[in-house]
Amino acid sequence: MADLSINLAGIKSPNPFWLASAPPTNTGYQVQRAFEAGWGGAVWKTLGDPIINTSSRFAAVHFNGQRVAGFNNIELITDRPLEVNLKEIYETKKRFPNHAVIASLMVEPTQKAWHEIVKRVEAIGVDGLELNFGCPHGMAERGMGAASGQQPDLVLAQTSWVKEVATTPVIVKLTPNITDITVVARHAVKGGADAISMINTINSLAGVDIHSWNTIPHVGGQGAHGGYCGPAVKPIALSMVAECARDLNVGVPISGIGGISTWQDVVEFMLMGATGIQVCTAVMHHGFRIVEEMIDGLNNYLDEKGLASVTELIGKSVSRYSNWGDLDLNYKVVARINEENCINCNKCHIACEDASHQCIDMLTNAEGKAILQVREEDCVGCNLCSIVCPADGAIDMVPLESGLAPMTWNERQKVISTLNGSYSEAEVV
Amino acid sequence: MAAYEEFAKEQQAIDELLFKGYSIAGIQEDLDGAKVKFVRGEPAKSNVELVLLTADARKYVTTLVFANQKTVVL
Repeated sequence: MADLSINLAGIKSPNPFWLASAPPTNTGYQVQRAFEAGWGGAVWKTLGDPIINTSSRFAAVHFNGQRVAGFNNIELITDRPLEVNLKEIYETKKRFPNHAVIASLMVEPTQKAWHEIVKRVEAIGVDGLELNFGCPHGMAERGMGAASGQQPDLVLAQTSWVKEVATTPVIVKLTPNITDITVVARHAVKGGADAISMINTINSLAGVDIHSWNTIPHVGGQGAHGGYCGPAVKPIALSMVAECARDLNVGVPISGIGGISTWQDVVEFMLMGATGIQVCTAVMHHGFRIVEEMIDGLNNYLDEKGLASVTELIGKSVSRYSNWGDLDLNYKVVARINEENCINCNKCHIACEDASHQCIDMLTNAEGKAILQVREEDCVGCNLCSIVCPADGAIDMVPLESGLAPMTWNERQKVISTLNGSYSEAEVV
Repeated sequence: MAAYEEFAKEQQAIDELLFKGYSIAGIQEDLDGAKVKFVRGEPAKSNVELVLLTADARKYVTTLVFANQKTVVL
């Protein structure tokens, strides 16, 4: 059995599975039950001036029978006094000394406010701090959360203020509601961040009730934008983790967050540079015990791969994440339909005809059976047919030898520039 | 005409010019595709311009130049 323990910027945890700062980490009762279930760490629900929440806070996007494909909330940070939270953090840490307890913090952007909360929280013994510069609703309107996180200079300043007094590792949690997350990440690092975590939730409106015309959720007939998370946001989060992981000017450990629901998701985030991960929506959907399956699955995967430690996964796919301009234009794949697995639903044909390059023919074979066949020379390898195909193993995307030397777009443009620069009409006329 | 056939036609035109001793001297790309200038010194100096419309042909012609430049550098 592989070693699942991690060390994220000095924060040690028995496994990479942490609960994200959110409703599941609101109280000591919840966090302790989570640790009993197997979670290795928890980022306590954000501490700050206690807020007042609305009733009717959550909404979900269900898609074609999949419950909670996306999740939306307008809940704010803790509504409990700091001292109450600190007492429960102390008790939790005392009961679970080897688990990671990180305090998420959010206060107004002043040096005095940050110094005060950092000193009070660290005094009761936490393993680290996570600065919440990401919450997109409610707190942002007060100049905190995403409002801070969208201003790189404020991220730098606030991180610096925290680092002036912090004695434990400082993680800066980043908002995805920004054009280039690496800019903010670099400013966090300039401010002294020991690690970064991402992503916080994405600005969202879960829906509009077409019968009542109210927003979903609504508070007495009025709605407001919320924060979107859950499986639907995973690709966005993964891309942002990858962008930060490959940026040499970021260069600090990453705690990956965003739609992680399975052990496979965890592997993906770690391969793309995360040292550990945080989960919220999946727990809100299925409860703390989903971690049991995640631990088992990860253990089995590591054993199958012959890896002794989960840390051996960290960043192994980062070098494979590049810029579009550096991809080989002469790499070619084509679709191949396996007749024995095809159920002749024609989804691939329709998709190719209507949305791609019209290269899947509906034919009749020698036995008079209807078959679908790809004209490989016209196939551009877009993958659409295999994406829409409902039958396992019916369509393979197969690499073909193009016979052409690998050449990227960037190389191509350079070639043209060099060629045109060296050419003179006088030479040939 | 299928996309491949359009490409194959343009590829053949490129290959024929190269076979006749022309070399690729310039490529100008615009909204309508790529104008490729072919030049030949022998037996008689001449130049020919080929307009390429398909993406695969535009890729093919630059791949040839790229491979050639790489060979020269090596």
